[in-house]
Amino acid sequence: MSAARLWQAPVLLLLVAALAVVPLVANGYYLALGVGMLSYIVLATAWALFSGPTRYISLATAAFFGIGAYTMAVLSEAMPVAAVIVVAAVIGVAVALVVGLATLRLRGIFFVIFTFGLAELIRQIVTWYEVKITRTVGRYIFLDIGQEQIYWQLLALAVLVFVVGWLIGRSRLGLALRVIGDDETVARHVAIDTTRAKLVLFAISAAFMSVTGAVMAPRWTYIDPAIAFNPMISFQVVIMALLGGAGKLYGPLLGAVPLVLLFEVINANFPNHFAIVLGVVFIVIVYFLPGGVAGLYDRWRSGTLALPAAAARSHAAPGSAMLQLVRLRKAFGGLVAVNDLDLGVEAGEILGLIGPNGSGKTTALNLISGALKPDSGEILYKGRPIAGLAANRIARLGIARTFQIVRVLEHLSCTENIVAGLAFRPRPAWGDDARRRAEDLLNRVGLAGRGDVPAGDLNYIDQKRLELARALALEPELLLLDEWLAGLNPSELAIGIDLVQSLRDEGLTIIMVEHVMDAIRSLCDRCVVMNTGIKIADGPPSSVLSEPEVVAAYLGGADA
Amino acid sequence: MIAVDIIISGLLLGGLYAMVALGLTLQYGVARIMNLAFGEFVVAAAFGAWWLYTANAISPLAGLIVIVPLAFLANWLIYHLLLMPLVRRAKSREVLEGDSILFTFGLLFVMQGVMLSLFGGQLYSYSYLLVPLDVLGTTVSANRLIAFAFAIVIGLGLYLALTRTRAGTAMRAVAVDPRSARLVGIDVTRMSALAFALGGALCAAAGVLISMFLTFSASGGVLFTMKALIVVILGGVGSLLGTLVAGLLLGLAEIATARLIDPGLTLAVNFAIFLGILLVRPTGLFGRSSS
Repeated sequence: MSAARLWQAPVLLLLVAALAVVPLVANGYYLALGVGMLSYIVLATAWALFSGPTRYISLATAAFFGIGAYTMAVLSEAMPVAAVIVVAAVIGVAVALVVGLATLRLRGIFFVIFTFGLAELIRQIVTWYEVKITRTVGRYIFLDIGQEQIYWQLLALAVLVFVVGWLIGRSRLGLALRVIGDDETVARHVAIDTTRAKLVLFAISAAFMSVTGAVMAPRWTYIDPAIAFNPMISFQVVIMALLGGAGKLYGPLLGAVPLVLLFEVINANFPNHFAIVLGVVFIVIVYFLPGGVAGLYDRWRSGTLALPAAAARSHAAPGSAMLQLVRLRKAFGGLVAVNDLDLGVEAGEILGLIGPNGSGKTTALNLISGALKPDSGEILYKGRPIAGLAANRIARLGIARTFQIVRVLEHLSCTENIVAGLAFRPRPAWGDDARRRAEDLLNRVGLAGRGDVPAGDLNYIDQKRLELARALALEPELLLLDEWLAGLNPSELAIGIDLVQSLRDEGLTIIMVEHVMDAIRSLCDRCVVMNTGIKIADGPPSSVLSEPEVVAAYLGGADA
Repeated sequence: MIAVDIIISGLLLGGLYAMVALGLTLQYGVARIMNLAFGEFVVAAAFGAWWLYTANAISPLAGLIVIVPLAFLANWLIYHLLLMPLVRRAKSREVLEGDSILFTFGLLFVMQGVMLSLFGGQLYSYSYLLVPLDVLGTTVSANRLIAFAFAIVIGLGLYLALTRTRAGTAMRAVAVDPRSARLVGIDVTRMSALAFALGGALCAAAGVLISMFLTFSASGGVLFTMKALIVVILGGVGSLLGTLVAGLLLGLAEIATARLIDPGLTLAVNFAIFLGILLVRPTGLFGRSSS
């Protein structure tokens, strides 16, 4: 911990202690205000745990809060309060897992829409169940729990949510979510299991919301589904987190405090215009504060948590088969992009994959790296079938790639981009070790000293370099380069060719899709030419490039 | 004959859902604005029709002539004045979706608040053409049938406009790929504004027609938004046929649930269908995969 941050711990402890004595001095009104404020601080912070990094706007807060509150209403007479709180958390997590499993695989917008209706959906089901089965609507809560106790419970919960959020931010899960928020495709190709990461965080966030509901329930002596599942809670939480800035852990706090006060004033003085004010605040935030008051750029700080250092990976023996494609086929509608392709790549060689535009080269790379699933055929990587595996699993097996249209994580710094590659491989690097390795990789690709620059600020060439460094961070055995040398000027091209050459000298196997013939000639041991999804030539570059069929494919033959 | 009853009532309701959703599919599919204040426009149009009928004795069908162009203009202005800054600022489609969701939340609450202060929270309805008619053995009121007929005419008109006119073709091009549309000389901004305004006009027309036979309230817009969203996504974003099929499906499911199980569970059934279909076809019934 650095000296600058050393003062923070005692200050925070003092702050919590000061807040803890509030019930001893405050009167009923201020205590109630404090309870409201703490509950929204917990809810908004828990919301931002998931929605901040993933940028999925979740409207499920009211659903989870209601689950907690209603659980307390139903079980408070049958069980001790502490046990009910645990049950509430468990139910919240279970619902989050079901909802998450169903929707988090889909596009973000579907998730928003589903959560939009979730509170209403659960309210309908609970109401139906109560009316038809138990024949009650609404329940009384007779618990001897005063405002003070609720206040202290919420304060403890608030401390817990900040501690958990802080730990997540320092963990690999935190980085995984930030990578997903920036570019989900890249996330999969640096070996992140994106669905699982989102699901875990959604469940954690739901647990906090449910517990908040359970803790708050004794405030009402009477609860019915319409009170418990009040959809306004979802919207208020979203707006608080966004006003404060969902990207930082303390952001929602900055939003919750002023807005709870504002809503309190409006409710007291202009109860009929509450919705209008809420709407105006939303619009103001979207226009003028897109990053919240906590700042547009939330810089994730790397932790110092050290994980075991990564050991060097043993490479396959030179000359043995690294990759084998067997009658691989992929069609888009009627267009067969890759047509029963057979291809072998030996360990330690650089294979050039060339052909005219639209011949299926990038599709072939997408099939190997798991971005697409083949219709038929087999992909054997070191003898093991990998066709159809998820991209993150293939990345973990040792196949890394770059993209034809460069994909860096624009909002993350260069170092963080590379750490994303280091942190999710089978032998992950983390903390100081990861930063050191990231620095080495930056030097290697010619980006020394640029570690703290946001990747989005780099020019095109440097973004390509960064992307290669991120791929190398996975310590791949097989590297797929999709037109990595395209767009370089002659001197940069020479540097790029030397770099690829040095990778091969270290024993890496490389498949490069490329149009730069100079690079093909000087780098590739072997060259495969594709046209309309079919392999039309295979051999040393010099002989392949002079074959009549290859010339015809590039320049247009008699039948074209 | 409960089956016939369910089918006829379901189709009548579903047709109107499809029409509500058509407006949203134009706004989202072409203009890329996820308009969550959509239901508030439906309700606003319903209040307009109610006011014209009860205070001025103008029939809702004549009211369409006033309300629909007004809605078109209002939505066109909203796009140009309020949404253009967000469109210009957005770096990607996802960013615009996120911003437009938040902005339209704001719009939702502002409109809801204004309507609440004008009309209060109670339910509104008026009786217009409340004449029972006999259709295949079931009794249907005339206003429902007329609303359905208008929905069909308007939906068909939209389909022809999108497939047979230059502006319609341009709109469909923008829906598929705004960047490429620009390359063939299509004014994407103009087409997006037009699609957004047209979507708003359609939704106002649906609001007027719905007000003829359903009760409505100032805070009831969210439910329309939710149903329209489900229909649009179920059908496949941008697919008119998909929207129609999904709308009818939802109407049928809703009526069947209400009659056979419990009217309180309609939303639960809607969401079950929504999830069930998306798990099998992630891009909706008639959607094309985007990757």
